[in-house]
Amino acid sequence: MKFLALASLIAVACQPAYGLWPQPKSAETGTTTLKLSPVFTITVSGPGVPNDVWDAVFRTEAALNKDKLGRLVVGRGSSDTASFAKAKTLSKLTLSLEKGAKWTSITSEAQKAPEDRDEAYQLTIPSDGSAATLTANSTLGLYRGLTTFGQLWYEHSGTTYTVDAPVKIADAPAYPYRGFMLDTARNYFPVADIKRTLNAMSMVKLNQFHWHVVDSQSFPLEIPGFTDLAAKGAYEPSKIYTPDDVKDIVDYAGARGIDVMVEIDTPGHTAIIAEAHPEYIACPGATPWATYANEPPAGQLRFADAHVTKYIGDLFSSATKMFPSTMFSTGGDELNTNCYGIDEPTQANLNSTGRTLEQALDDFTQSTHKVLEDSGKTPVVWEEMVLAHNVTLSVDTKVLVWISSANVKAVAESGHKLIHAASDYFYLDCGHGAWVGDFPTGNSWCDPFKSWQLSYSFDPVANLTADEAKLVLGGQHLLWTEQSSSENLDDTVWPRAASSAELFWTGPGGNVSTALPRLHDVAYRMRQRGIKAIALQPEWCALRPGVCDLTA
Amino acid sequence: MRFAIALLVFVPVGGVFGLWPLPRSLQTGTTALKLAPDFDIHMNVLHAPSDLSDAVARTKSHLKNDKLGRVVVGRGSSDSSVIQHAKSLASLHVSLTKGATVRSITEEARLAIETRSEGYSLTIPSDGSAATLTANSTLGLYRGLTTFEQLWYQWSGNLYTIEAPVTITDAPAYPWRGFMLDTSRNFFSVSDIKRTLDAMTMVKMSQFHWHVSDSQSFPLEVPGYTELASKGAYDPSMIYSPSDVKDIVDYAGARGIDVVVEIDTPGHTSIISAAHPEHIACPIASPWSDFAAEPPSGQLRLASASTTNFTAGLLSAVAKMFPSTIMSTGGDEVNANCYEQDAETQADLKATGRTLEQALDVFTQHTHGAIIAEGKTPAVWEEMVLDHNITLSNETIVLVWISSANAAAVAEKNFRLVHGPSDYFYLDCGAGEWIGKDVGNSWCDPFKTWQKAYTFDPQANISESQAHLVLGGEQLLWAEQSGPENLDPIVWPRAATSAEVFWSGPGGDSNEALPRLHDIAFRMRQRGIQAIQLQPMWCALRPGLCNIDS
Repeated sequence: MKFLALASLIAVACQPAYGLWPQPKSAETGTTTLKLSPVFTITVSGPGVPNDVWDAVFRTEAALNKDKLGRLVVGRGSSDTASFAKAKTLSKLTLSLEKGAKWTSITSEAQKAPEDRDEAYQLTIPSDGSAATLTANSTLGLYRGLTTFGQLWYEHSGTTYTVDAPVKIADAPAYPYRGFMLDTARNYFPVADIKRTLNAMSMVKLNQFHWHVVDSQSFPLEIPGFTDLAAKGAYEPSKIYTPDDVKDIVDYAGARGIDVMVEIDTPGHTAIIAEAHPEYIACPGATPWATYANEPPAGQLRFADAHVTKYIGDLFSSATKMFPSTMFSTGGDELNTNCYGIDEPTQANLNSTGRTLEQALDDFTQSTHKVLEDSGKTPVVWEEMVLAHNVTLSVDTKVLVWISSANVKAVAESGHKLIHAASDYFYLDCGHGAWVGDFPTGNSWCDPFKSWQLSYSFDPVANLTADEAKLVLGGQHLLWTEQSSSENLDDTVWPRAASSAELFWTGPGGNVSTALPRLHDVAYRMRQRGIKAIALQPEWCALRPGVCDLTA
Repeated sequence: MRFAIALLVFVPVGGVFGLWPLPRSLQTGTTALKLAPDFDIHMNVLHAPSDLSDAVARTKSHLKNDKLGRVVVGRGSSDSSVIQHAKSLASLHVSLTKGATVRSITEEARLAIETRSEGYSLTIPSDGSAATLTANSTLGLYRGLTTFEQLWYQWSGNLYTIEAPVTITDAPAYPWRGFMLDTSRNFFSVSDIKRTLDAMTMVKMSQFHWHVSDSQSFPLEVPGYTELASKGAYDPSMIYSPSDVKDIVDYAGARGIDVVVEIDTPGHTSIISAAHPEHIACPIASPWSDFAAEPPSGQLRLASASTTNFTAGLLSAVAKMFPSTIMSTGGDEVNANCYEQDAETQADLKATGRTLEQALDVFTQHTHGAIIAEGKTPAVWEEMVLDHNITLSNETIVLVWISSANAAAVAEKNFRLVHGPSDYFYLDCGAGEWIGKDVGNSWCDPFKTWQKAYTFDPQANISESQAHLVLGGEQLLWAEQSGPENLDPIVWPRAATSAEVFWSGPGGDSNEALPRLHDIAFRMRQRGIQAIQLQPMWCALRPGLCNIDS
């Protein structure tokens, strides 16, 4: 029968290590079946093993029991059972730190500055049943190794096994910033949604959750001392992140090797602050909105006002205490000058101080960024702060490139470290039509849809000199949520956002054809763990790698 | 504070936000009216069928459990004083018009499509006296109950409307208001399908077009042909058993929905070769693009008498599982090259002295004969009338899918037609290429927005004398890039747009429609359907303020 024969031939030919995403820097795998013992345990040797390491070990053991993922081949592993009888059994994985390394928590390692994180590990799994070993210089490296270990195992008729033994992996990321950005202001997401997103992120070794928590539409963050902003600016009392919620999310992320970088976007994207403090906002709700803002509602901080500058500095100071990350984003995108042109208090202020709008922006930025630096934070800004304005930024300031990948070069030339977040590669919201009303023929501004294949083809150092290339910290996919909410969070993000996770871990140049079976695999495993990652192809294709290729 | 303009804008247009599809005739007031705590629905229908009683019970349950706050700033907090002083409605009286035949909703929903009666009249006085719902059929009563449910919001324990009195006389513009789901490219569980039927009935859809099998998998267990599913389903757990089908068909019927099954033939049948290699030409031939529109290639050997008999027998067995008067035999994307390369087909053609087209004609007449003998009206995709020269019964219903531009040509051939054009109604477009080794766009780019679907004109380029041939239309989900994970978000609330186009008639204004579409999407979420947000909630609560020119 042509049908099965063809499929199994292809499956065998390119079978090894389908489960690994991102692809390790160096991986040698065999073709021997190895079973996991029913009494398999992970042992950790060392004095003072931190709690979050133990928790990670227990979660890994639990996932080995609960994933119950059938191998993505025709029969879902039924053809593997013949090899079970002769297969050896693995009963132990031993975790240890390299000599001289200290047992610090995963959380504290993950919350270091990106440049200081050590995520490397070595994993060895012999095929003869002798103990597997995982070593690293840091607990964060061990955590990444545990994640890799968890991707090697499939289940059939009660047996958990790999067909890739022996396995020898030496791994480390190409870039230290591998992120995902979520906008929780256009529409709200409950804490459980964010935790589920962190689960998925950690499965593909993402290490940075960029939380665009507030914007002009709603202010769901309760900040001690500034609680009126959420009380009056959240969509509903039930749609507020309390300080406890934030701690819960930050801790949950940290234990999974993820740092949480909050963004309080200023001075634009702040209309909703007018609900509590109308005196701080220029042009709130001005019409036509298109003259005063990139999207409704219009409204921006009166940054020429010294009171507003002090208020935002104090607000930043309070917010920094909620987020242990070394980075804090102050936004800075899409500043609209018309809004200030019609705002009498701003004009009066500029007149009385003899400053231009740009000079006032410089003062505002320096003053608010100084508060961050005094709190030990590195400011992060959107690209306009470097490319469109003439403001003084500390050399440490990190820049997110969003408008276009074509702007990367110019940012690099400014000498700032940069993070790729280009709308033409990484915006997950594009391609679903216009969301503004009364615009029946409209497409999304960043059409078309950014497919995983497109993101995967991104080159982080395109057009950069060798010195400029050193400024690239990594990159991220982003979900702006004008057309997203709990209902379509997972299926808009996963597994698409995994493509940048591999790009920035493994490095660019991957092949979409060989990546696809592995992307299927991690998507199937995500589904087993309750993440609604979508099907990228008919299951017929997912079970027959290569057969649905364009030229097959 | 300029934010105050929000209040000014939404109040004057505050009526009927809850109604989707918009009734054909509607008068509403601006008086608040509460539902009494002991509100009840009284059925004045002798020998009321049990599915009508069940529908009434479900309506009462929805009234109690929807707990939908009005989609305005404050979610209804500003209504609290008018609620306090509002009269209370104690009862809705439901009755059939004099002389009407009492049949179950299910029976009415499965009547021949042009003979269904879905009209109803609903009156809700503002003084608290009883509301009345009347219709010529239980199906009409069911549609009226659906409308009644959409009028009520909840605030601090009260259920209320602010638009009493309400007088509605309603009936659909077109009888076929459908949704098509492909359960072959990826599998959907029975509960996914039932949840989809729940959403469909909320917007008064009448047809579930079930594209159950295709080249990739055969998840339908057909009595006498069980090997097709046992060898062709993705997994033993991914099979619709006959009792699953009955469950789905009954569930749909009770909700006013007829289930039209499609067994796509003679193309889109590769997977049959898993059980019957002898019936399939060019199974998984390579390169697939020479032999099929998508992988895997493989088509029924339509020139073979044995395959023709097998297919007729299969279709006849499937027909017995589905009580609808309509059954689709597909007929799209037949690939001639596949048959040219197939020695058996070439030998069959030579032996019978037929061309491929003649053999297709014989095959179609035979297989259609089998389902006509089971009392079914055949439905086919447009190629069967536009690309092939075959004899079809005049009763045949034609689904237009390739382009809306082809509807007029189908009408000119005097066939009844259903609109399902890819350029307006395909829900899968715009998510990138799913074929491997390709960094491209979907073939039917771009994404079809609800706004685009809403502008569809069912009578465009169709002459007045052929206007009666248009039965209606449907939005469709081909599932190459869909599974249970993204079913609801891809479909809802987008598919509600065609539900309104074909109930209320075309010509609606998307600006007027948006607040109502938000409202039905919010209500769907209250009922466990993962309908997506169309805008930031800030906009949803402030109708008009996020328009392009506001």
